[in-house]
Amino acid sequence: MSAGTLVFIVIAGILVMVVLYAVVAYNSLVGLRNQIKNAWSQIEVQLKRRHDLIPNLVETAKGYMAHERQTFETVTQARSRASSARTISEVSQAETELTGALSQFMVVVENYPELKANQNFLAIQEELTSTENKIAFSRQAYNDQVLFLNNKVQMFPSNIIAGMFNFRLAEFFELEDQSEKAVPRVSFS
Amino acid sequence: MFWSIIAANKRRTIILIAVMGLLLILAGYVIGMAFVDVYRPWAGIAGLIVALCIWCVMLMVSLYGADRMFLGITRAQEVRREHYPQLYNVVEEMVIAGSLPGMPRIFVVEDPAPNAFAMGRSPQKSCVCVTAGLLALCNRDELQGVIAHEISHIMNRDILFMTVAATMLGSILLVSDAFVHSLRYSGGPRFTSRARRTGGARSGAALLLVSLLLAIVGPVIARILYFAISRKREYLADATGARLTRYPEGLASALEKMQKNPLPLQAAPSAIAPFYIVNPYRMHLGGSPFATHPPLAERIRILRMMSHGAGYVDYTKAYITVTGSRRTLIPLKDMGEGADVPVRESCAPEQAETVLPTESRRRAGDIIRAMNNFAFITCACGLRLKLPPEFREDRITCPRCGRSHLVPEVNEKTISAVLTGAAVLTAPFSKPVCTGSSTAGQRKEATVQVADVVPGRWQTIQCSTCDHAYEISPRFRGKKLKCSGCGATIRIRMIPEDQTAPLPD
Repeated sequence: MSAGTLVFIVIAGILVMVVLYAVVAYNSLVGLRNQIKNAWSQIEVQLKRRHDLIPNLVETAKGYMAHERQTFETVTQARSRASSARTISEVSQAETELTGALSQFMVVVENYPELKANQNFLAIQEELTSTENKIAFSRQAYNDQVLFLNNKVQMFPSNIIAGMFNFRLAEFFELEDQSEKAVPRVSFS
Repeated sequence: MFWSIIAANKRRTIILIAVMGLLLILAGYVIGMAFVDVYRPWAGIAGLIVALCIWCVMLMVSLYGADRMFLGITRAQEVRREHYPQLYNVVEEMVIAGSLPGMPRIFVVEDPAPNAFAMGRSPQKSCVCVTAGLLALCNRDELQGVIAHEISHIMNRDILFMTVAATMLGSILLVSDAFVHSLRYSGGPRFTSRARRTGGARSGAALLLVSLLLAIVGPVIARILYFAISRKREYLADATGARLTRYPEGLASALEKMQKNPLPLQAAPSAIAPFYIVNPYRMHLGGSPFATHPPLAERIRILRMMSHGAGYVDYTKAYITVTGSRRTLIPLKDMGEGADVPVRESCAPEQAETVLPTESRRRAGDIIRAMNNFAFITCACGLRLKLPPEFREDRITCPRCGRSHLVPEVNEKTISAVLTGAAVLTAPFSKPVCTGSSTAGQRKEATVQVADVVPGRWQTIQCSTCDHAYEISPRFRGKKLKCSGCGATIRIRMIPEDQTAPLPD
């Protein structure tokens, strides 16, 4: 075997390796992007579910707390704003408001022991708690995957493949910052 | 990211399993050699193949039939959403958090010992099983912690690993057992006499000694390896579970409750002990090389130490502090967690804590009964009647207050309503119920009805036109009631108790 063939084999081998790497990297990027889409749709499903639960909640609670019109209105308005939001940042903003309004609502509910004992209300509350948890967990899964994709898009050598096929950085879905700032309103009247 | 952790941990488990496999091959080879008197290479190979075949058969059987068999032994029953919305919701939350491809099937075992396990060879085909004792004992956060641990077993593919390891252990035991028995009954004399004739006595004896040694020591080593793998996977499932829920305290306090209630499980085959969240037999046996699970106290302490974060890094740090071991559970460099993982707050704690233990035990029993198609009637006097499906009558009298109730039909809708307690009395009966001794209610014309009420106690009256039921409080002082369903007026007549006819028995 001459030196020429040896060199040829080595170069061909390296080329094959590079192509193989490119294929694997491209596929994993596509897979991640699809997973992010999937995770986002999961968040949307849960947000929608929360929007659907709120009228039920308000309807059940109304009979018991007739004097809390203000609270009801806040929740209802926050809900309608949230369901008309479109972009990711708009949705985050509106959903944060809705979460705040709901937690205030729950603080008010504390004053109505009869409502708290109502089985229907308890069932809705369990659904709402679970939906809030599901929103939090799907957001968690979504953000994990966004972090992973962004790392791949920015880090060498997968960034070359990402640049060639126009993979963009994905946007994180943040909620907690503002909701932690909003302190529940406590009235002494 | 999860999969890098899984990959790192997989490597270590695979090494341990490979050592076990090597042990199996070695045992098969040496024992195969020992069965023939002189050195024949094919004998060793044959022994090896036999050992591997035994393992393959066991593996196939346990991969494709074990879960069904196991669920049958424990008499686990599948729960649907309407039986217990909270359990279903908690599992769904964890499935979302772990981005599993689908919902596992959920089962409940009617057993007072608090425990849980997961089964299934892949995340697509898996099931989670909890005992009624666990449901009775745990609040929502604790249940979430336990379910997160089980979902982590599914995510980390521990069930597959443990099945491979368990069948290897089983075949090593079987092969060495068969060898020792064959020696005792026939092997020994034949072995030595023929070997002596051919002049290979010394090598034959040496081979016998080696194979005996392997037959005795091999199973012990295999057991130690198996339990080491099992303990490692438990720690990892705790870590993943804490990361999924972002609330290590939930699992910690659930484990603590299990520690305080060390009831043995009634039906739990020992081969699947590693699949449970805590060892179903010897809850306090820990720290020995023959324990399937790490000591409970240690697991709780590690979880309680993670006050700063719920990520793998935090778990590993707590693990090092508590166990003092230098070998980390998960190699730190493989973790690749970009940001720290904050611990979240508990969801609805105070509500869950106010539930009395007897009340929660009753609730867990009700779930089991609902799964067995019991009919539930809550009487206005507060008594809850639970009728088995064998009860064929269409009405029943409340043993406490004597009210007559129609036995409702059992279907999925009524189950959910009953368990949440929602539609207890608003559920329409198929026929108007004659309440108390009132006969007037039925004879009157459609628009104005009369209902007799005994003052000073709770009572149910029903609109005879639309079957809407009303609860009359002992403090009700009104004369009339407008039915919200059909608009009919119901006149309430107060009749003191001594004037009414005796209640039907």
